[in-house]
Amino acid sequence: MNKIMYLEFERCIGCRACQAACRECGDHDAKERNYVEHVDFMESRQTFPMMCMQCKDPACARVCPANAIQITEEGVVLSASEEKCIGCRNCTFGCPFGIPKFDFEANKMYKCDMCYDRSKHDIAPMCASVCPSDAIRFIDFDEMQSLRRRRTQLNLVEGKKPTEQDKWKYVPEFFGVYSD
Amino acid sequence: MQQLERSFYSKASMYSFIVVMILIFLMWIGTGQFSHVDIMLFGYVIGSLVFAIGITVRMVSWSLRPATQQMLKRSFVNMRNRKRKKRNITSILKTAVDNIVLQKFIFKRGIYRGITHWLIAWGCLGSFAITFGLTFGWMHFSLIDAETYQMVVMGIPTIKMAADGFLAQMIFEGLNITAMMLLFGVLMALIRRSTNKDVKVTQRPEFDLMPLYILLAVTVTGLVLTVSYKFLGGWMHNYMALIHQITVVLFLVYFPFGKLFHLPIRPMAAGVPMNYQEEVQVDTRGCRRCNTPYSSDDQIADVKEVLGLQSFDLQLADGSYLSDYCPACRRRMRVMKQLNLESSLESPYAPIQTMTDVQVPGFGSPRADAYYDNSKGEKEND
Repeated sequence: MNKIMYLEFERCIGCRACQAACRECGDHDAKERNYVEHVDFMESRQTFPMMCMQCKDPACARVCPANAIQITEEGVVLSASEEKCIGCRNCTFGCPFGIPKFDFEANKMYKCDMCYDRSKHDIAPMCASVCPSDAIRFIDFDEMQSLRRRRTQLNLVEGKKPTEQDKWKYVPEFFGVYSD
Repeated sequence: MQQLERSFYSKASMYSFIVVMILIFLMWIGTGQFSHVDIMLFGYVIGSLVFAIGITVRMVSWSLRPATQQMLKRSFVNMRNRKRKKRNITSILKTAVDNIVLQKFIFKRGIYRGITHWLIAWGCLGSFAITFGLTFGWMHFSLIDAETYQMVVMGIPTIKMAADGFLAQMIFEGLNITAMMLLFGVLMALIRRSTNKDVKVTQRPEFDLMPLYILLAVTVTGLVLTVSYKFLGGWMHNYMALIHQITVVLFLVYFPFGKLFHLPIRPMAAGVPMNYQEEVQVDTRGCRRCNTPYSSDDQIADVKEVLGLQSFDLQLADGSYLSDYCPACRRRMRVMKQLNLESSLESPYAPIQTMTDVQVPGFGSPRADAYYDNSKGEKEND
């Protein structure tokens, strides 16, 4: 698997199709694991979709006292294993992006797993497959590289040159699974 | 202590040595200076010692993780605090009853799952108690007169009972009862694991199914023994006993290294009400940005320390940490940074000046490549 989730927050129209699709995904137990929120409701109508970054070295797993958060061989960070999770919510506070959700009723944490049963077969996750405005895309690594390159070129056309210090500002949000 | 630790390769080997010594010492007391060791159970003794070493090694390596260490440290500090006495006792008792005896949280995930887990868990714990008690000789039964048995625990004579009374029957059938609980629980679990499509998403046969197969082998061979001596006059009993012994030793050796290792982790759940939230879903610490309560001071201090120990630099320019903000604000901060929205906008209706300064043209599907090709693009779009 060499696919990338490619997010462009600017493209989000706030339709919440991704959340409805997430609820339908296998093992998600009819609860959405992603977020669609207003950036600042009083200032603009801009919304954004938010999923897990699937970190290589996840802070959530590092702060888990029960060692319940496991990473698959494809690099997907799974929800806390139900048999170990003691329900302390450390992961929700440790995550720098505020991704894990907590189910007080069943006393367990659950988080975006990139629709593991789909993405492990290279099928787009539910959210990416339904997004009408392409704010969420599931694309090849090479395609992502070419999109990044195009952004850089357009910046150069507009007279903006990324430097080594701020080059990350010039690329859109992307994350995914790179195991080769 | 440090001197002692330095005479071993590691903490794990030191604690394993201590645990094995304690077990052998207890066996020495229980069997009256090894005078009545049940030699038929010798294989179980070896299996149980390997089990004890495995559990100790895994527990030590688990408790050395920074996050676990921090949780344990705070729990012990709080347990010594006299002002928290009431809170400590209630949280430990409540966790023991709700999470371990009744396992309420699993029943909330589904009644079928609750019953399955309760049967397996208490079948295992009951069998463990009886097996370890008998193999290490911690308890045995002695005949007082022709009709009375007496239970001897650790060499101390305790209750007497009629040899054919109800209590005696229940005790002698103990392993059969736990085995029946296990058999039903394991079969229910296997049915769920093979039919439910949701659990198949992240299920791994070698991790999730293997313990069930091992448990099934142990219970079936154990129950066959009962069938053999009760109904078949001991037919094939010694061969079956050997096969049962092999499966049990396999189970004991597997236990600390597979999925079943969650058993010694569970009691730490008492640390959650004890250290972090006295009442479920009642938060005391407000978010630095929006002031919504989202956690407690102690927990955020712990999270910061654990992250710091593992070189996660999540401090912002103003000196605050990302864990000072509620999850919703953390998500928003990331997006505002990305979209250059941290400064106020000129007009709510104006296009957003993103960091890239590239405006997304419309919200439809991405434009054809031809659009970006100058010669063709101008013609089409003008």
